Amino acid sequence: MSVETTQTTPAPQGRRGRRPSFGRLTWSGLTLVIGLELRQRVRSTKWKVALSLIAALIAVITGLIIFAVPNDEWQPGDLVFGLVVYFVLFLGLVVSPTLTATSINGDVKEGTLAPLQATTLSAWDIVLGKLLAAWFASLAILAVAIPFIIFAMLDSEAHPAALITVILVLAAELLVVCALGLAWSALTSRTASSAVLTYVTVAVLVVVMPILFPLLMLTMPVEQTMTYVNRDYAYSESTVDEDKYPYVDESGYHYRCTEETYTQTAYRTDRLWWLLAVNPYVIVADSAPSPEIPEDSDEYYYTDGILDAIKQGVRELRLPPATTSDYCQPGLSEEEMYRREQREGLSPTWPWGLGFHAILAAGSVLIAVRRVAVPYGTLPRGTRVA
Amino acid sequence: MTVQAQAPTGHALHAQGVRRAFGSVQAVVNASLTLTPGTVTALIGPNGCGKTTLMLMLAGLLRPDGGTVEVLGHDPVTAGAVARKGIGWMPDVLGMWDSLTCTETLATFGRAYGLSKADADARAFTMLEKVHLADLAAQPARVLSRGQKQRLSLARALMGDPSVLILDEPASGLDPRSRIELRDLVRALAAEGRAVLISSHVLSELDEMVDEAVFMSKGVTLGESAEAEVARARARWRVTALPGHDVHAALSEAARDWSPVEGADASVAVVHVADADDAADLLASLVASGMRISAFGPVGSALEQAYLSIEQERR
Repeated sequence: MSVETTQTTPAPQGRRGRRPSFGRLTWSGLTLVIGLELRQRVRSTKWKVALSLIAALIAVITGLIIFAVPNDEWQPGDLVFGLVVYFVLFLGLVVSPTLTATSINGDVKEGTLAPLQATTLSAWDIVLGKLLAAWFASLAILAVAIPFIIFAMLDSEAHPAALITVILVLAAELLVVCALGLAWSALTSRTASSAVLTYVTVAVLVVVMPILFPLLMLTMPVEQTMTYVNRDYAYSESTVDEDKYPYVDESGYHYRCTEETYTQTAYRTDRLWWLLAVNPYVIVADSAPSPEIPEDSDEYYYTDGILDAIKQGVRELRLPPATTSDYCQPGLSEEEMYRREQREGLSPTWPWGLGFHAILAAGSVLIAVRRVAVPYGTLPRGTRVA
Repeated sequence: MTVQAQAPTGHALHAQGVRRAFGSVQAVVNASLTLTPGTVTALIGPNGCGKTTLMLMLAGLLRPDGGTVEVLGHDPVTAGAVARKGIGWMPDVLGMWDSLTCTETLATFGRAYGLSKADADARAFTMLEKVHLADLAAQPARVLSRGQKQRLSLARALMGDPSVLILDEPASGLDPRSRIELRDLVRALAAEGRAVLISSHVLSELDEMVDEAVFMSKGVTLGESAEAEVARARARWRVTALPGHDVHAALSEAARDWSPVEGADASVAVVHVADADDAADLLASLVASGMRISAFGPVGSALEQAYLSIEQERR
């Protein structure tokens, strides 16, 4: 009989004494899992139909945007380009979670994960293989969208290099969303829960943070002295004292500038801008190079369209509130010149947002690897190993 | 067929005092067993006694709360991949990749165990032949019947050329012919020098397949008491004579330890024999004494008998 009665083994150790390792990532293991996942997916879903539908949808939206944006002397700037890019990002954020959000708990439910875990494949092989396969699948959506993005580009005044940055950032964002889905599918046993939680996480970044921004802003008002500079016109143009009213406006009327000082409530957006920086839409906008600013420009924002407006807007919010408001002189006041200089001297916003997303993605992968590594220590509630 | 070098200790797998709880449920309380190369060991116990949990721990998928498991000299917890390389595990759940063909499924597992693509493909072909699925090689797994999936699952467990095979309910859902084929296959695998652990509810099947048995009840593996019970059960033979012949008297005369069978007359009895030789001697003497014996053989399944009597004791 196979029952061992002699006590030859060392004293039983507790589960804390021995930690399982996650194993090593191997090229052959990684490519095996990627191939397996893609083959499973490509054969089980109607990919050609899905991609054609997505292409048709993007085509319709692009056409409508081009039709809707006036193409006259008023320059629409990067409006067409920005809107098309934002629609593609929206599609990516909607579709990508479905590629990974049930990837692990779905396999557990079908009983296909445990046999793989029982082989010599490491948790890294399985998790990164699943992540990359899902990412490649979502890149197919991006690839379908690229012709339309190029078309929109040609119809816009955007910086030519924006085409490259936008595509790279879109690709990176798809990877982040795939990683989030993977983590949730590793953490929850029910596929419905992980799908919802993945969408909620994306919604937090895209919608909840921008809602929090003004709400939090209102909770931290500061009192500060504000100087307004306004025009003061002479009573009568015929008896004007040109020393007192030195300036002349476009209609030939004399005026002077008067300063008034108030104590006012201002909001420290420079402490809360990160809420917006983690938004994928802001990251895409901020990473796109701005159109060239002419040397003699006297506009505070040299921009129109959408991507550059969001970029400059968010960067403006990173500065402390202004203390002067000059409505008197045409052109930029000294303070405005200074603020514009400061704003242009700011480091870009997108590395902060993308950096945070990279940390999110890396953390998600780590969570998934911990969950997939065998032997299992604790199991998620309500799950079986096999 | 190459089988990896055995552990220096001489056994392929050794578990001692293994326990595991899920929350407040103690699934495995104290399990110990040893698998020897070239033998088939049955793991027998009622539903929910912890068989699957124990097998998961042996296969390196579940961390024991305590106790030690050693597979070919490696601890599945600290040396996971090395230990898993020596194990082939067939789960009781038949999860298959629906859109992959049988060949692709097996080749994938071959590569997951570190084989090259060419080796994996070749071995996939061999294994499909072995489990009689060669004619379905190019079919996607979703068209397979339950029994065919079962056989594919067994082939999958063999792709890594394991020294230790852990089969969780491999016979469930198989038709009688497939069961016989499974029995022969398991015996052949053991003959190749592999250590096989097999759990099943169909105890009469196991009888002809296994060399050793480990009984498990309420998370505890039972020791020598179970062993003795199996030996005792194996020694019980039923004698049936033609009506009118008094087997009871003949057995008493031969000074045998016998018992009547409930609801039957004196022509039927159950008798204890020492071994097969002894049984043959008894039959010869009965026939010589003029008994017209129509049936003579072991009573039912020895494992079943042992299982039932152990269950009764524990109630």
